[in-house]
Amino acid sequence: MSLPCGIRNYSYNTDTAIIRTRTQWVLFAAFLLLLFAMPLYIPRFGLDIINLIGITIIAVIGLNILVGYCGQLSIGHAGFMAVGAYTTAILTTTFGWPYFAALICSGISAGLIGLLFGMPSMRVKGFYLAITTIAAQFIIIWIINHWTDVTRGSIGMGVASASVGSFQFNSEIKQFYLITGITALCVLFATNLARGRAGRAFVAVRDNDLAAEVMGINVFSYKLLAFFLGCFFAGIAGSLFAQWRGNITAEDFTFSQSILYVGILIIGGLGTSIGPILGVGTMGLLLYWLLPVVLTPALEGMNIMPSGFSSGLGPMIFGTIMILSLVLEPRGLAHLWSLFKASYRLWPFSY
Amino acid sequence: MTQLLQYTITGLAVGMIYALIALGFALIWKSSRVANLALGQLVLISSWFTYGMLTQAKLPIWLGLIVTILFAIFLGWLIERFTLRPLIGQPALSLIAVTLGLAYFLEGLVTVIWPVSVAKLPALFPQEPVNIGTAVISQEYLWAAGVSLLLFAILSVFFKFHKMGIAMRATADDQLAIQACAVPITRIFSMSWIFACIVAAIGGVLVSSIGGITNALVETGFKSFSVVILGGMDSFLGCIIAGPIIGLCENVGAGYLTGIIGPGIKDLIPFVIIIIVMMIKPYGLFGEERIERI
Repeated sequence: MSLPCGIRNYSYNTDTAIIRTRTQWVLFAAFLLLLFAMPLYIPRFGLDIINLIGITIIAVIGLNILVGYCGQLSIGHAGFMAVGAYTTAILTTTFGWPYFAALICSGISAGLIGLLFGMPSMRVKGFYLAITTIAAQFIIIWIINHWTDVTRGSIGMGVASASVGSFQFNSEIKQFYLITGITALCVLFATNLARGRAGRAFVAVRDNDLAAEVMGINVFSYKLLAFFLGCFFAGIAGSLFAQWRGNITAEDFTFSQSILYVGILIIGGLGTSIGPILGVGTMGLLLYWLLPVVLTPALEGMNIMPSGFSSGLGPMIFGTIMILSLVLEPRGLAHLWSLFKASYRLWPFSY
Repeated sequence: MTQLLQYTITGLAVGMIYALIALGFALIWKSSRVANLALGQLVLISSWFTYGMLTQAKLPIWLGLIVTILFAIFLGWLIERFTLRPLIGQPALSLIAVTLGLAYFLEGLVTVIWPVSVAKLPALFPQEPVNIGTAVISQEYLWAAGVSLLLFAILSVFFKFHKMGIAMRATADDQLAIQACAVPITRIFSMSWIFACIVAAIGGVLVSSIGGITNALVETGFKSFSVVILGGMDSFLGCIIAGPIIGLCENVGAGYLTGIIGPGIKDLIPFVIIIIVMMIKPYGLFGEERIERI
């Protein structure tokens, strides 16, 4: 981590601070202002997309803890999201709990299910673990579809918007502040987690788990911790999704969704705190806005494709971007971002 | 009793097809340590391609099948050359992720070209059912199992005696040694992808000639993963033995458990088997247990 020219650290406090210089504070304040003033200058359907992006950021941050820092590939993240979403739906709709209690419970229940399916990580890794999480995805979705007494199967469950006391987050703008606030908290938590003891242990386990064990890191418990935290975030994301969407079915949490999250994370940059945000930001705009709103109508207007092609266009483009990003820039957008920062810091004397 | 016999025979026959597709996975894994998660999508796209050739372009069946095989060869070469070869030497996670990207791409491509979600292949095999003992079996299953067995035989002769097959086995054994013998290792990787695509295409045609073409064909890929996991990833013998076991569990389980647990149990069984194998014997029946050193 290179510091800007002329900046020194004189105490541990300045050394460990996330935001170090006055310029950074000014930029950060401007960013926060722009972010929270978004409802003023973004149309309503744009806000809809921003909310979905916020929820996806939380899910991908969880995946980043699991895959990016700890190196345990999980391709069942949408399944764990479904656990969170359905916990919220059952607790608030069936039992009438207040939303925020259900939110925490959703995180914990998704985390516990994650622990269960993370157990094989004690003995296997790589492809074996990936296939276990794929199995987890399908088993969870199967149970949701067939345990009709509790989850109402394919009819889906209605969920009321979040509320505190008598205040309801019932408009898109109120939802925006709720989701953005929780996303900001999650980003902060994940950033600090990665810089702390657990984060360093995760990185050691990812780079070489045998060496980590020899150095006195309890590999298995840290792997399980990563599974718990990663799935906890997924549960939070699922819970927010449930109350934002208002009605959930198992169709909202498909296997393609799981692959999508892995792809977004790779495009953004594995094992960096900025990566998930950049990845979800660009890919979210592409998949939720550019593709359905701009590109598909344009192609449909040209009448060269068979009707009904549009649902395949997104996966095709996303798959191409995913492959290209792995071949050309395996460290993702986050690496490009750090290259950019390094070059403007030294500009115009780059040597 | 009649029912049990019927489930057993269909299970074994379908299992042979799963084993065939799983063989493609094991081939790639052995030669280049790439876990190909796009298996189901390869099956899907080659089935749709066959549909395009036989039904849409109205080729005669023999020509259509030959074109499909050529397409599979081309597809395998293309995939290896442009997605896997630039990633040689990258960590395992990138290699798995690139096949996921490939899966996503292929599935999208199929939807773009063939937006209809259900189609039927013309009948490749005689249709009338046959009696085995007391059970009545649709003849297609037996033909499919026969074709799979024949392919196994051809492939094992190829690996045993042909120069390329020997080189491929040697690559699986020791990559450095085979490079020292001046065998271009990238050609081996290419060949293994081509073979994987061919067996996936044939498996796909067999499965879809029985059950029609839907996007559920992707699940055939997942069933083959459970074959691979149960048999052990680096064992051809494991595939051939585990395939019928999975098919048997699936069909017999579905036959008897549907009444107790509910419909749809058939799709769940392979995944439950995966979890059980992971808990008890993660490297499968015939897999090599990995011993790591720092």
